[in-house]
Amino acid sequence: MSELINAKGLACPEPVVLTKKALDSHDEVTIVVDNEAARENIKRLAASSGCMVDMTEEAGGVFRMHLMKQQDKQTGKDTASGCLCPEDMPISAHGPTVFVFTSNVMGYGNDGLGTVLMKAFIHTALDLDKKPDIMVFYNTGVKLAASDSDVIDDLKALQEKGVKMLICGTCVNFFDLTGKIGAGNISNMYDIAGTLTTAGRIVKP
Amino acid sequence: MKADQNYCVALFDSVSHVMKAEKILKNADIPHKLIPVPRSISSDCGVCLRFLPEQKDAVIEALESNIDISEIRELLL
Repeated sequence: MSELINAKGLACPEPVVLTKKALDSHDEVTIVVDNEAARENIKRLAASSGCMVDMTEEAGGVFRMHLMKQQDKQTGKDTASGCLCPEDMPISAHGPTVFVFTSNVMGYGNDGLGTVLMKAFIHTALDLDKKPDIMVFYNTGVKLAASDSDVIDDLKALQEKGVKMLICGTCVNFFDLTGKIGAGNISNMYDIAGTLTTAGRIVKP
Repeated sequence: MKADQNYCVALFDSVSHVMKAEKILKNADIPHKLIPVPRSISSDCGVCLRFLPEQKDAVIEALESNIDISEIRELLL
């Protein structure tokens, strides 16, 4: 069974998505695209899903690509990652996603503004599709985890959703917050350094 | 935090108004929370103050003589 897709005028990753869908139910797919990014992305999709590609260039930068599934070459890989558009980039690395809070404000320049931004960031983290696996707090970042912090409810909610939190004990001591931490576990430099070096991704707001 | 709680949000023209309003509500002991403006509402400044519907009058009273609130909206979940 063959399927013909006209993907002219469609921006990445649409052509790849359409092709991938069509390959789910057809052994042969012909797709017509009009840009090089789509052409390259479909080539990659073909390679990763074990398809042969016949390509012909038509007038006006239009490419007609014919993909045929190879029976003995089922890779079983998730081929959505064939596209290299930013919005479709796979979460690359192995290892946990770690959010690092090196300070109680977000960004440099104006601390009042930074405080507002940090509150908004932590609240938004609750709604992220890809939540952090671990959150690390050090230096003034530990103030965020204090039981009277403005973001403590959000941190508790994140913790309930399974996010692990490491709070730098040295910093808690320094800021006189011993016994006043409302979320996470008091931790040490061994755990913090280990977590940072084995992270798949580090996000620093 | 109850998941099915309805809230109101107060929107302002600028971040500095949000910061000033936050300070006033804090001093007046009116429970509130600074959150990003929900995607369904458009606002230039990006952050707003959320509070319980029953605090609406208290919020308006505390803020109206000090700051222009650009809008108060109910968030329906």
